Amino acid sequence: MTGTIEATGMHALTGPFHEALRRGELVVQHCKACDRNIMYPRHLCPFCYADDLDFVAAPTTGVLHSFAVHRVGSPTGFEDDLPYAVGVVQLPGDVQLLARLWPDADGGWDAYTCDAEIVFRPADAAETERRPVAWFGLPD
Amino acid sequence: MNDEPVFIGSGELPSGRYPNRPFMGDLVRVAVAAVADAGLTMPDIDTILLIPCLHSPADQADLVFSRVVEELGLAGRAKSSYMVHSGGSTSDNTIRDAAGLITSGHARNVLVLQAEKWGSAPVKDMIDMLTANGIPREWEKASGLSFNAVGALITRRYMHASGSTPADMASVCVALRQWASHNPNAMYRDKELTVEQVLASKMITDPIRALECPMLADGACALVLTSEGNARRLGRERWVRIAGSGGCVSHYSIGQERDLAVLGWANAAVEAYETAGWGPEDADLAEIYDSYAAVLTSGLEGLGLAPKGEAARMFAAGEFSPGGRFPVNTNGGLLSAGHTGVGGGTALLTEGVRQLLGRAGRDRQVEGAARAVCGGSGGTYMDAQVLLLEGVSA
Ligand SMILES: [Zn+2]
Repeated sequence: MTGTIEATGMHALTGPFHEALRRGELVVQHCKACDRNIMYPRHLCPFCYADDLDFVAAPTTGVLHSFAVHRVGSPTGFEDDLPYAVGVVQLPGDVQLLARLWPDADGGWDAYTCDAEIVFRPADAAETERRPVAWFGLPD
Repeated sequence: MNDEPVFIGSGELPSGRYPNRPFMGDLVRVAVAAVADAGLTMPDIDTILLIPCLHSPADQADLVFSRVVEELGLAGRAKSSYMVHSGGSTSDNTIRDAAGLITSGHARNVLVLQAEKWGSAPVKDMIDMLTANGIPREWEKASGLSFNAVGALITRRYMHASGSTPADMASVCVALRQWASHNPNAMYRDKELTVEQVLASKMITDPIRALECPMLADGACALVLTSEGNARRLGRERWVRIAGSGGCVSHYSIGQERDLAVLGWANAAVEAYETAGWGPEDADLAEIYDSYAAVLTSGLEGLGLAPKGEAARMFAAGEFSPGGRFPVNTNGGLLSAGHTGVGGGTALLTEGVRQLLGRAGRDRQVEGAARAVCGGSGGTYMDAQVLLLEGVSA
């Protein structure tokens, strides 16, 4: 993700999030000036415009707002992943993000429903290195 | 108000797959048609506002750099030519731009011009291109999110919140197909569709099936605006004024939308109706962005044209179909007239203007249409842009 003009200087925002994922952790940005959590990470706090920002451990249990299962057709590079699911996860602290969803016990996503509890379950380091994305699954 | 901006004409070419229709040729042909429809001649046009195409960066660059001005013989005469871009809500924002230019005296006669070649472009390339349109490369691209999945996220949330069934959602597509059968410019003007066919089609991005995905199409639209004073001087018998306008940009990335079943429509509605001085109960028809059924149902509800959670069931009951209680997307919408990229919203707006001018043709003209609610949405349904239009007779 380096070497493109779009990525120039973005490491300060993307790096801590991606590095945490590789450690199997989920972090969100936090503004020390106004004490609010921020997602997605921003250059300045979108609430108070301070630049005193760091990353903090995020709650690992959230609520599934909605989800979609790609069955036919995908962006280039995701053909071998089919079928796969993405969902919008809302976390305590008023932050949310798009995540991948692990298949359920039956190998599909029928056990998922909107507004149900959902838990951060990171992919392994190799997968996260390849694709820096948070994965969530059903609670035990 | 003599310098009030008004629509006086429109033009449209058939939507669908027309690989032999060149992009610039479509732009020129639709421009000539719209200017004639407005009762003007080409040199009367001093300002051209261009709606972007998405099929090719090179063709889009031609729009930005005034190729159209040369093609239309306006070199040395045109005052200004530029592109406005907010994806599917571009036409609404462009009309605001045109209105401001006319009211302030910066423009006299404005030509709003759009063409797209999505139907002739390689589908896979367009799918990949769309992943760069409103999907953040740092935070969401690595998930494999496709544009159909954006629609599916909205659809599933809408179905969950409203209790709408797959058959209810399919009936939205069926109603639009019925409207398309009355529109000679619609991509699917002669292809019937049933709820059973929709439900039997392949699941593409659960819960969206193949026949619920918008079909990428070629198409072209143009609109002409001037001041009310000019419209009178030209002896026009009827024009369309912009009674109200409201908007809400609710997100950039789909992962940051707080309520995928609501989007920005209700926020946009407040200012729109307030400025118009009339309400949803006074509207005669609606033309609202519909690249997926749930975008349209959330729009109808947010704009007060259906009770919250009821729009899909009302489609199933035929209330928004031809002959129903309230006409919605009378051109067939993006889902059945064809998804002409940014132009899908332009086609809906063009249809609204055409209806209010009383020129929608015998088969689908809404009798006595005087007030239309028009709405567009861009990117990952990042915004809800609403124009309330009124037909006025001289
Ligand atoms: Zn702050």
